[in-house]
Amino acid sequence: MSNTTTLPAGGGLHPAGRKAPRARRFGRRSWTAWLFAGPSLAIILVFIAFPIVQSFWFSLHDWRIGAAEQEWLGLANYERLAADPLFWNALRVTLVFALMSVVAQLILGYAAASALQSERLLARIVRSVYFFPTIVALATIGLVWRFLLDPNIGLVAGITTWLGLPAVGWLQDPALALPTVIFVSVWKNVGFTMIILLAGLKGVPPHLYEAARLDGARGWQLTRYVTLPSIRPTLLFTTMILTINSFQVFDLVYVMTNGGPLFATDTLVNMMFREGFQNFDIGYASAIAWVLFLIIAVLSAFQLRIFRYDDVD
Amino acid sequence: MRKFTAVAAAGAIAGLVLTGCSATSTPSSDGPVELTMLAGFTGGDRGAYEDLVATFNDTHDDIQVSLEIQPWDSIAQTLPAAWATGQGPDIAAPNFDPNVLANYLETGSLLALDQVGTGEGQIDVDALFPAAVDAFTSDGTLYAVPANVATLQLYYNKALFEAAGIDAPPATVQEFQDDAVALTGDGVYGLSLAERETIQMWPILQWLEGGDIVGSDNCSVLDTPEGIESLSVWADLVKDGVAPVGLTGAESDSLFSAGQAAMQLNGPWAAAGYTDAGIDLGVAPVPTGVDGDVTLGSTVPLAVSAQTEHPEEAQEFLAWWTGQEAQKQFALASGFPPVRTDLADDPELAANEVVAAFAAALPSARLYLPGVPEATKVDTEGYIPLIGEITRGADVADAAAKASDTINALTGCA
Amino acid sequence: MTTSTERRPRVRLALPPTRVVAWILLGIGVVVAIVPFVWMVSGSFRTEADLYGAPESLFPGEWTIDGYIRIWTELPFLRVVLNSFIFAGLTTLLCLLFDSMCAYALARMRFRGRKIAFWLVIATLMIPAQVTLIPVFVELFNLGWLNTYQGLIVPRATSAFGIFMLRQFFLSIPTELDEAARIDGAGHLRIYARVILPLAKPALATLAVLHFMNLWNDLLWPLAMTSTTEMRTLPAALTLFGGQHVNDHAVLLAGATISLLPLALAFFLAQRYFVQGVAQTGLK
Repeated sequence: MSNTTTLPAGGGLHPAGRKAPRARRFGRRSWTAWLFAGPSLAIILVFIAFPIVQSFWFSLHDWRIGAAEQEWLGLANYERLAADPLFWNALRVTLVFALMSVVAQLILGYAAASALQSERLLARIVRSVYFFPTIVALATIGLVWRFLLDPNIGLVAGITTWLGLPAVGWLQDPALALPTVIFVSVWKNVGFTMIILLAGLKGVPPHLYEAARLDGARGWQLTRYVTLPSIRPTLLFTTMILTINSFQVFDLVYVMTNGGPLFATDTLVNMMFREGFQNFDIGYASAIAWVLFLIIAVLSAFQLRIFRYDDVD
Repeated sequence: MRKFTAVAAAGAIAGLVLTGCSATSTPSSDGPVELTMLAGFTGGDRGAYEDLVATFNDTHDDIQVSLEIQPWDSIAQTLPAAWATGQGPDIAAPNFDPNVLANYLETGSLLALDQVGTGEGQIDVDALFPAAVDAFTSDGTLYAVPANVATLQLYYNKALFEAAGIDAPPATVQEFQDDAVALTGDGVYGLSLAERETIQMWPILQWLEGGDIVGSDNCSVLDTPEGIESLSVWADLVKDGVAPVGLTGAESDSLFSAGQAAMQLNGPWAAAGYTDAGIDLGVAPVPTGVDGDVTLGSTVPLAVSAQTEHPEEAQEFLAWWTGQEAQKQFALASGFPPVRTDLADDPELAANEVVAAFAAALPSARLYLPGVPEATKVDTEGYIPLIGEITRGADVADAAAKASDTINALTGCA
Repeated sequence: MTTSTERRPRVRLALPPTRVVAWILLGIGVVVAIVPFVWMVSGSFRTEADLYGAPESLFPGEWTIDGYIRIWTELPFLRVVLNSFIFAGLTTLLCLLFDSMCAYALARMRFRGRKIAFWLVIATLMIPAQVTLIPVFVELFNLGWLNTYQGLIVPRATSAFGIFMLRQFFLSIPTELDEAARIDGAGHLRIYARVILPLAKPALATLAVLHFMNLWNDLLWPLAMTSTTEMRTLPAALTLFGGQHVNDHAVLLAGATISLLPLALAFFLAQRYFVQGVAQTGLK
C-alpha cells in the first residue's frame, strides 16, 4: 500500500533522489533524451526564446512597429532609462512589491499547507476555499476588490465606519495603494503557494519522520531537519516562481490602479506596457524588459545557489 | 500504461483537430466587398453602433461590414502589430484618445482619406465637427473621421438639490462653486471629481476660471498666474471636502450612482447608467466661465488601414457613417450629439432632450491637448500627477512649476 | 501515516490553545477568501438601483436574472464556450504531455546540452510575456496561423513553468524506483509512463488545473491572435460588457460567475489528486 516498503533502506535523513551518478548508465544514447525534450524545446525556441532575442535587438533601436527604417540607437535607450526618474520609481515599487509579496506568500502558504495537511473533511474544505481565489480571472476580481475597497461606497469602508474608524482610501492614498495591491496579490496567490508546498509536504516519505522521532526530534526540529530539507526542490521552485511572477506583476496592477495614484504602484512591467503600447516606444519598452530580465536572472541564480541546485543535479 | 495512452490519444486528437481547422476561407471575388471594422465601444452605447453598422449593411448590397468590438486596451496592444503586417481590420477606431492617432500616423498605418467632398460616397469634411477634423488632419491630409463626438455636461442629482433647497442647476462658475459647497455634507460631496482613467474633467474646471494647460506654442501655461489661480480655486475646494480625492473615472461614476455626490461633469454615455441606478437625474450645460461658455469635447477617430484592399469602399463607409441619415439615427439611439454641425436644427433631434443638451454644447467644446506633441505623455506624466499632487495638499505654484518643466521637455517647447 | 492523523487522538481529548488560535486564524482566512466571491455572485443578481442603493450589502435586496439573460441573448454563447474548451482543454493536454516529457529528460536523463536546455527553460521564465507579444504575432502571421486553432494552441503548448515544476517534482521521486524498473528491463519510455507519471499524479493534477485556469482566463492572447467572432473565447467575448463605462454590473458579474463555473468544476475534480501524496499513490 505504500512505496515506503519497497524502498531500499538507504534514504535516511537525506532528501530523496540523490543517486545521480547511477543515471549516467542511461545516457549513452542522448537522442532519446532529445526526443523527450524536443517538442517543448522546439516550441520554446521558436515562440519564446527567439522573440526575446528579437526584443533585445529592438532595444538597441528607436523601434517603431512597421516603420520602414528603424533608427539605430546603440545603448541610448538604456542610458535614457538610467536618467529616467520614473524608471527608478518603478524599480523601487517592483522591489517592494516582490519582496513583500514573496515573503508573505511563502510564510502564509507554508503555514496554511502545514496546518491543513490532514485529510479530514474540514481541512479539505478550508484548503479548497483558500485555493479558490487563484482560479478567478484577475480582470473580474480586480473590479470586485475595487468595489469592496471603495472609500465611499465599499464594504470595507462600511465595516470601518461601523467600528467607528474613518473610511480609508486604500487605493487613493499613495502611501496605502501599494500595500493594498500587495494584499490583494497575496489574497489571490497564496492558495497556489499552499497547494505547491502541500504537494511537496505530501511527498516527504513518512519513514523519515519516524526515523527522526526515534532519534528524539520534536516539533520545530522535525520541520528544520526533515521537512525543509526534504521539500527543498519544491521550495526552490516555489520561491523562484513567486519571485519571477512578482517581478513581472502587471495584470493586477493594471486592473486595480494602472500604476497610480502618483505612480505609487507603477511597476516595471506596467511602465513597460505604457511605453510600448500607449506611447508606441517599443525600443524603450524592450530595454525595460531586458533590465528586468537581468535583475530576475541575477536573483534566480542567487536563489539556485541558496538552494544548492547542483546538489540535486 | 493506461494513463499514458490516454495522454497520447489526446495528443492525437489534438493533431486531428489542428489539421482539420487549418484551412482559412478566402472570400470569393464575386459578391459584395467584405470589410471588417474594429472598435472599443464596449459600454452601454454598444448597441447603437451595432445597429448603425446593421443599417449600413441593409442599405448596401455591394459592401458588407462586420463590426468587431474589443476593449480599448486590447486594441491598443494588438492593432499596431496587425496593421504593420497588413493584417487586422480594414477600418478601426484605434483609441478613444484622439491624440493616439499620431502614433499610427508615424508608423505609416493610416490611409490618407482623399474621397472628400459633398458627392455620393464622399466624406463631407466641411460639415463635420471642426475641432475633430483639425485633430485628424496632418500636413493638410485627413486621416480619420470622428466615429463619435461627445461633450461633457453637468449632471446633477435633483433629489439632493431639492434637499439643499436649490431649485436650479448653477449657471455661472461662481454659482457652481457656491452650490458645490452648499450641497456638501452628511456623507454627500458637492461635486464628484476623477483625477485619472477617464476623460479629463479638470481642464474644464481650469477653463472656467480662465486658466489653461498649454498655449498655442505648446508651452505649458500651468505656472502662469492665471494657471495657478485656476488650479488653486478647485484644489482648495477639494481640500475643504467638497470633492473627493484621488478617484478614478469609474469610482467617480459610482459615487454619483450611489447618490453620494450632487454634481458631476460627464459625457452622454453616463446618462443611462445613472437612470438605471435610480438617480433623479438632471443634465444642464456646464456653467458659464469667466471667459464665456466652454466645455470639453471628446472624439473617437475612425481610420482606415493603409494596407486595406478596398480603400474606396472603406471611405464610402466612412462617408456614410458621417452622413446626415446615419448620424441622426445614431444620435437618437445613443444620446450622443451628431458628428455633423448641420443637424442642429433637425426637429427630431431638437426634441430629444439629451441629444439637444449635448449638441448645444458642441460650438463651445474644446479638445484636450489637441495637436500637442507627445500628448499622451503630457497627460500621464505631467497633468495627472499635477492634479494628484495639488488635491493632496501640495503647494500649487510649486507643483505647477514642476509639471510645466515636465510638459515643456515633452513638447519640445523649452 | 501522516503527522496529523497521528495527532488526532490528542485533538479529541482537549484542544490545545495553539490549535484554537490556529483555527481562528484559518477561519478569518476563510472569510477573507470567500467574501469577494459572495459579493460577485450576489452582484450578478442585482439591479443597478439595488447595487447602488446599498453598495455595502453582500446580498441582493431584489433579485434579477437580467444579467444572465443578456449574456445568453447577446453572445453566441455555445460557440464561445466551445472555443474556450478547445483552446484551454487541448492546450492543457498538450502542455502536460510535452512538459512532463521535457521534465523527465531534464530530471532523469544525462545528455549533452542538458544544462543549456535547463537554463534555456529557466531563462524564458524571466522575461515578461508582454514583450514577446508583437514578435510572436509577426511569426504567426508569417506562418499563416493567425486566427486558427493551431495558432492559438501550438505556441502555448508547453510552458517553462510546467517543465520547471515537474522537473523539481520528478527530482523528489526516489531514483530507486526507476532502478527497480530498469532492472526489470524497462526503457525510458516505460519508466516515464509507468513509474514517473503515476507517481507524479498530484503534481500533474495541480499543473493541469493551473494551466487550464490560466488558459481559460487568458484574455490578451486569444484577442491578439484571432480576429473573428467565431474564434473568440468566453472571457474575450465577455469583454463586450466591461470597458471604461460599465453601467450594467449585473451582466459583467454574471459573465464572471459563468466563466468561473468550469474552473471550479475542474478544480473539484482534480482536488482529490492534490491531496494524495506520493506515498499513497505509490505502487498500489
